Amino acid sequence: MPELTIAVAKGRLQDAALARLACAGVIVSEAALASRRLAVADETGLFKFIFVKPADVPVYVEHGIADCGVVGRDVLLESAADLLQPLDLKIGRCRIVVASPHAKTVMNNFGMLRVATKYPRLAAEHFGARGLPIEIIELSGSVELAPALGLSDCIVDVVETGRTLAENNLSIVEVICESTGRLVVNRASYQLKAKSVANLIDALSESMSQEAKA
Amino acid sequence: MSEPLSNIPRGMRYYFGAEARIRRVVEDTAMSVFDGWSYEEMTTPSVDYYALFEQGMGRRQAERAFRFTDTDGRLLALRPDVTSSLARAAATLFAERERPLRLCYAAPVFRQKPQSHAEWRRESRQIGCELIGAANTEADMEMLAIAVEVLQRLGFGQNSYCITLNDVEVFNGVAEGLALDDSSRDQMRLLIDSRDAADLQRFLAPYAAPDEREGFARLIQLSGKRETLAEARRLITNPRSVAALHRLEELWRIIEALSLTDYFEIDFGDVSGLDYYTGLTFKMYLSGAGARVGGGGRYDQLTSNFGRPEPAVGFVFDLDALTDVLARSKNSTPAREPERTVVPIRNDDSTAIFFEAIGKRARGERLLIESCEVKQCRN
Repeated sequence: MPELTIAVAKGRLQDAALARLACAGVIVSEAALASRRLAVADETGLFKFIFVKPADVPVYVEHGIADCGVVGRDVLLESAADLLQPLDLKIGRCRIVVASPHAKTVMNNFGMLRVATKYPRLAAEHFGARGLPIEIIELSGSVELAPALGLSDCIVDVVETGRTLAENNLSIVEVICESTGRLVVNRASYQLKAKSVANLIDALSESMSQEAKA
Repeated sequence: MSEPLSNIPRGMRYYFGAEARIRRVVEDTAMSVFDGWSYEEMTTPSVDYYALFEQGMGRRQAERAFRFTDTDGRLLALRPDVTSSLARAAATLFAERERPLRLCYAAPVFRQKPQSHAEWRRESRQIGCELIGAANTEADMEMLAIAVEVLQRLGFGQNSYCITLNDVEVFNGVAEGLALDDSSRDQMRLLIDSRDAADLQRFLAPYAAPDEREGFARLIQLSGKRETLAEARRLITNPRSVAALHRLEELWRIIEALSLTDYFEIDFGDVSGLDYYTGLTFKMYLSGAGARVGGGGRYDQLTSNFGRPEPAVGFVFDLDALTDVLARSKNSTPAREPERTVVPIRNDDSTAIFFEAIGKRARGERLLIESCEVKQCRN
């Protein structure tokens, strides 16, 4: 019987997350990963892993189906899930930015900005705080195409290296926030499985501080 | 075009079958425990002035209520909590009654906006009690003892539940010592609430020495027993927080003496409800529920909103959250289908059948009248 169920965001963060956990002694075997099953156990059998889409990690953890999760801060902010975030895992560093083909003028030239994004809540909050009226155009992928095709004046999106932006003639207008992978914990699990959760947090932060020293 | 009537508004639901039975059992169990501790049941109005809840719960919570206007234009709300109304009754209706007052209730509350995605319900039933007019540790312990008894009578044992304890004055003392303005105070509260130790340390950097920061960040991450209190004593020295730690210690001493430490945790990271509570706060967690199933604490300024300041402590259980857990656990007592065999009675004579039925009921038997239409179908 596994002590903890951990939801891991598939994609960008998955390999880095598993590497972090492996450093902390929570190892998922290659064979288990290769099996492509959606739920696998680690080598000790103490942890069960489920791999889900990033936006679903906060959902599984908030409902207590998973006790813990590894997911980017960008996803957490967008979901506004009520979760504990005890540890910054310092993986998958990226920024959420406003970008536009006419970066210098875009903030002044429009009475109403059309913003294409996968982060409607973050975008609304960011522009709302400055009193800028915007129309949010919610997309589920390839957001960087929107300005070139005339769908929007700018985009709010996640940027790692900036290459995709450059390829689409977009430049950064401003940075909304930085994002890294976080360990998140369900509020009830944090109390009811206090020992297991504390052990996991300790092992992770221990291995991270050793890495920082090395 | 009209809306299809098959739709149910978001956050509303039906209860029937096993779930309905469980709700009945849980409510009856809790109310009989309250009665056993001499708490008097009270029913409050389902609709009341919005201003009452704004005073009683604070604006941020009250704004979650369903609101509408009275015929004279005054703003009304569908009861979003029961405590506000009880506090008013204590200060007005029961002003002359001997203290302490012991009151309890079971009532639906309505919230238009949910607090988290897991709490999707907009109607939920609260079962709770209030002890008004007593400020001592014994009053706090009475609340905890009642909560434990309710959970135990519902069949929850060791490792299946946990009650976390904190005192809001621990945080308030620290925040006061740092001389934070309102927005930084709120920021610090949020960092503690999400147990974000790294960001909390960064936040505290201008205010405290590195080892103090690290110690404090660790303190809010780890819940524990007596050793957590000792650690806090070592780290936190301002008089306001120390007084709160002393109160917690006194309470913990009683918990230890009663051999109840397995069910309790000290949790300095629990800083929700700061603008509402004034001393002890506690939350109930059940294995199998993703969110807390109840909580409470001390709110000594609540009745002063109604012109009569006096100490008060209380708590609520969320009946729906308890039901969810019990309904899913197969071996729980209330979830079991009751053994009910009943032989339908039939008689073509409509007078005779009721003679028989009333006779059976007089002997306390269960019965089921087989209706004539059903018989016709069978024929």
